[in-house]
Amino acid sequence: MNFRSVFMMGITVFLFPSCEGVFDDVYDEPQNENNTEFGFVDVNGNKGTVYIDATSYSLWTYIDFHTKTIDTVSIGVGTEPPNWDVAVHRYDAKTNGGSVLQTNLVSLDDVNKISHVNEDHFVSDVWSKIVIDMSGMMDGNIIYSESYVNEVLSKWLDVNTATMPPVYTLSGKVYLIKLSDNTFAAVRLSNYMNDASVKGFMTIDYVYPLNLGKCQE
Amino acid sequence: MSRIILFFFVGCLFLNVTMVAQSVIYGTVVDKYDNPLDGANIVLKEKGNVGTVTDNKGRYSLMLTVKDSCTLLVTYVGYKDVERKIYAGQGQSCCLDFVLHEDARKLNTFVVTGTRTPKSLKDVPIVTRVITNHDIEKLDAADIEDVLQSELPGLEFTYSMNQQVSLNMQGFGGNSVLFLVDGERMAGETLDNVDYSRLNMQDVERIEIVKGAASSLYGSNAVGGVVNIISKTNKEPWSLNLRSRFGAFNEQIYGALFGFNKGWLSATTSVQYTSIDSINLKNEGVYNKIYGNKTWNFKERMIFRVNDDLKFTARAGYFFRERNSSEIIKERYRDFNGGLKGDYDICDNGTLEVSYSFDQYDKSDFHLINDKDVRDYSNVQNVFRTVYSHTFYGRNILTVGADYMNDYLMSYQFENGGNKRQNTIDAFAQFDWKINERLNMISALRADYYSESESNQLSPKIGLMYRFFDCSLRALYSRGFRAPTLKEMYMTFDMANIFMIYGNPELESETSHNFSLSAEYPAGHYNLIFTAFQNLVDNRITTVWNQALNGMVYTNMSPMSVCGLEANISVNYECGLSASLSYAYTYEKMIDGTPLMTMTRPHAATLRIEYGKEWKKYEFNCILSGRILSELTTEEYVSMTSYEQTVKQTYPAYMIWKLTLLQRIYSGVNLTMSIDNLFNYVPDYYYSNSPSTVGTTFSLGISIDVDKFFK
Repeated sequence: MNFRSVFMMGITVFLFPSCEGVFDDVYDEPQNENNTEFGFVDVNGNKGTVYIDATSYSLWTYIDFHTKTIDTVSIGVGTEPPNWDVAVHRYDAKTNGGSVLQTNLVSLDDVNKISHVNEDHFVSDVWSKIVIDMSGMMDGNIIYSESYVNEVLSKWLDVNTATMPPVYTLSGKVYLIKLSDNTFAAVRLSNYMNDASVKGFMTIDYVYPLNLGKCQE
Repeated sequence: MSRIILFFFVGCLFLNVTMVAQSVIYGTVVDKYDNPLDGANIVLKEKGNVGTVTDNKGRYSLMLTVKDSCTLLVTYVGYKDVERKIYAGQGQSCCLDFVLHEDARKLNTFVVTGTRTPKSLKDVPIVTRVITNHDIEKLDAADIEDVLQSELPGLEFTYSMNQQVSLNMQGFGGNSVLFLVDGERMAGETLDNVDYSRLNMQDVERIEIVKGAASSLYGSNAVGGVVNIISKTNKEPWSLNLRSRFGAFNEQIYGALFGFNKGWLSATTSVQYTSIDSINLKNEGVYNKIYGNKTWNFKERMIFRVNDDLKFTARAGYFFRERNSSEIIKERYRDFNGGLKGDYDICDNGTLEVSYSFDQYDKSDFHLINDKDVRDYSNVQNVFRTVYSHTFYGRNILTVGADYMNDYLMSYQFENGGNKRQNTIDAFAQFDWKINERLNMISALRADYYSESESNQLSPKIGLMYRFFDCSLRALYSRGFRAPTLKEMYMTFDMANIFMIYGNPELESETSHNFSLSAEYPAGHYNLIFTAFQNLVDNRITTVWNQALNGMVYTNMSPMSVCGLEANISVNYECGLSASLSYAYTYEKMIDGTPLMTMTRPHAATLRIEYGKEWKKYEFNCILSGRILSELTTEEYVSMTSYEQTVKQTYPAYMIWKLTLLQRIYSGVNLTMSIDNLFNYVPDYYYSNSPSTVGTTFSLGISIDVDKFFK
């Protein structure tokens, strides 16, 4: 068998791959959402991450920083839990009697550098409308519900529906939340989709409790 | 002494030399730069079977046995024919050198798309438009979109959903225009056709465009036309071209093309990298930002000659594109392709081609937050093909062939990200009958079977070409079809929790009956081409709202008619001035009278004016090219879920002009400077069919043929 024969056989073998494609190893496997743990993950002292499924328009997910728990309630069906700090519905957010300040920080590692906050700049929730059913949008029948919403915290993700598909833009900012018990939390939305690029899976990094006592006015 | 004899004979030739029965004629064939032309044909015009070809140094030698005068005809692809009259006389050898000049009309360029066998442009019975690599250089085109839009009126690339590139070619969308690379299909789709950014213009020898239905040779998708991109084949012992281009928004293109030829093995390697930043558009619109991206494109092609009768062609390619569509995700597109083809000359008149082709196109999302690259789309096509061509009486060609394709599709648009597959098998036959010197008839028939839709398609074609003097008249009927894709049959996609899009397994194939008449008249410096066409299109596939399902469903449309005219006039003067004007008119109509929703502009034109001058070590070409597209007024439904009320929508006319200066410095260095959108056109509102320009931009390119420094 001469060189030419070996050369041609080599090319033939190389070019005869699977009918379902080659180079599967190039890619990563997505996280299986059926086996995914939602709630407080990667907790390390007063830092951690909350991972929630906010894909449904008809659910509020209540987050309790004190007990490191989450609870999901159907809008108009269930009742909100007795203790909670922040709640998320799709990309809307509200607080439990708290208020929020958007900072210029883009990393939670820098919250210790905050030397001064003016509580007058914190913004409380307002009574507003939220979308609970988009399925009739094409017929112009979007169903809304009324609820408190914190408009500052909800800026963590801008959804521009003027284009199709909508353009999603993370603010990337750190938000300081003054809770109803006068403690402080710092949160930053770092992702709004899962590995399979399904939008509505929210990854919220947080610091709680945040020691701001020395720098408050 | 020998020189005296040589001069004597050369001198005699200019004075109509008289020659004897046994004569040896030898010499060289070169281009205007003195570069030898390898493979030029030298034949005795009176006896077409007497002739020879030049070697890689442009040399030839021909023994003639003639008693009377005869004519020596020299032809070379892309160059004007040259004839010399010689006369019978006393027997001696004779040196006869030829200098060939490029043929701007390209009538000698060999094309393959219309008939699947090589024929010169002037002899091919199917109207074929050719864009050569010289044209591409003169256009300073960065991609296939630039090339086609600049050369073909009535062709528009625009952005559609999610900024995927979409095509309209005189009433036919991208999924009804078949794109081929060296005759092979491409896997994958963006929204309505292949990923056009895979088509690297660096290693293109020419682009052949056949408008109208061509399913009798190419099967599905060849409804509105076929665009076949032919790759360069290296003939030099070695060649190396390095190029780069810099433009607005940090556009950068770097490429290298290496060729190698050593008798039994020749190879061409192409590598290209491109990148451009995101562009924020100046005014409001349905999109307000063009995402930046970067691409890598690698191609390897080897031709292995076992002996004079047997040749193998192996190829492999890799493509990678990354699009900056958000701050947390980069969309990635990859393609792996390869193929092996054997060409065997079974006998003097018969050639058998057997080939295998593999193409895999993947889409994935790269999540910056956790470095995960998750694939959500993969289309894999495996194609086996055999084609046999037999030439009868030296001029009639019978071509028969068959293909088998396995089409696998995994998609995020299927339920639970599942997959589907389909097998396709076809057989075809074509007879290219040159009845006499004036009349040529071509007829073909192809049968296709699709396993998932259980659809059978029979696609005939019949064409006539009649030549009188220099004028060619062509008439053609051909049928085209587009089988429903796996996506269109099985899609179950949740559109942002707003509505669903459902596939439809009951879809019929889209079909078209295409009739065309064409006249071509090359006269001196001028060349005129006029074409009229009519397409009767049925079952075009689209999506319509289904109230019961609360979603969009793929459905066949009512019959429609797409007809139009095309005219092209070009002129070339020896002084270096040339010009070309093309105009296209398209008219669409729904046959049952239902409202027509269209994105086809009725009038479109392209214009190119060029002036060039050359010296031994310097050459320049200055080219002004423009695209002019008319206003479009169309009906649009007021609601996406109700088809009772329409409103008229008008999209504005626009024109884009480009000024390019090409300079050749020495023999291997080429500089290109361009001003695009010369008159600073900016859309007031960016509709989906508006040009995605933000105004005048500049670009600079340099190309170096390294091998020419060593020759």
